[in-house]
Amino acid sequence: MAKVAREMVEKAGVNVDQLVELLVKNAAAELTTFYYYTILRVNLIGLEGEGIKEIAETARIEDRNHFEALVPRIYELGGKLPENMKDFHDTSACPPASLPKDPTNIKAMLTVLVEAERCAVRGYTHICNLTAGKDHRTYELSLAILNEEIEHESWFSEFLGEGPSGHFLRRGETSPFVGKFMR
Amino acid sequence: MEQRTFTKEELHQYNGRGGAPAFIACQGKVYDVSSSFLWQGGRHQVFHDAGADLTSSLAQAPHGADLLGKFPVVGMLSGD
Repeated sequence: MAKVAREMVEKAGVNVDQLVELLVKNAAAELTTFYYYTILRVNLIGLEGEGIKEIAETARIEDRNHFEALVPRIYELGGKLPENMKDFHDTSACPPASLPKDPTNIKAMLTVLVEAERCAVRGYTHICNLTAGKDHRTYELSLAILNEEIEHESWFSEFLGEGPSGHFLRRGETSPFVGKFMR
Repeated sequence: MEQRTFTKEELHQYNGRGGAPAFIACQGKVYDVSSSFLWQGGRHQVFHDAGADLTSSLAQAPHGADLLGKFPVVGMLSGD
């Protein structure tokens, strides 16, 4: 634990135990989404599925990166990950992004993907609101993750006919915002 | 179907703990959120507990009351 780092956050008026619990829940959401997106990605096949596969893969890898970036902050603040993987899954801040009953239904697949991203956007907006001006490190990390989650949402929503995302596929490395927390 | 009217004390019993259903109130309506993954054990995103009127909390939340539309309304909250 980073004793003084935690103390500074407490002095700023943040309930650190609650914040840590929220960070663990979001870390669980990231790792479980990485798992569920793996199943979604392998089922994105055929003429329609192939068109979505690449952004699903980018979102999958970046969600895993978010998990990796969150873990150090959880421990710095005196928290820890649950010892039991099932407990970790069940504490997730977002529902399971389960494979639709008909995986050939691309709209159903996209709906699962976009709903998962929307849950994440809400979650990190919440953490940013809680920590703004109080816990600078958690805020900056959450904001970096939020930037990537917003891009993921926009990619998938474009395919659902909700209008242009204004984005192109990632070029080069994944996690342009979160990467600095993983070095 | 006639709907039940809950007092705040009655609503408090539906806190999702110990196998109790999880009900929450918002803008006068009482919703059953027991089926939600995000309300397991009667808690939601660390800060919110079932069995209470969450109208003011929802105003601060990163989502609107429209998300409650997918849950069944089981009654109304009395103004007492």
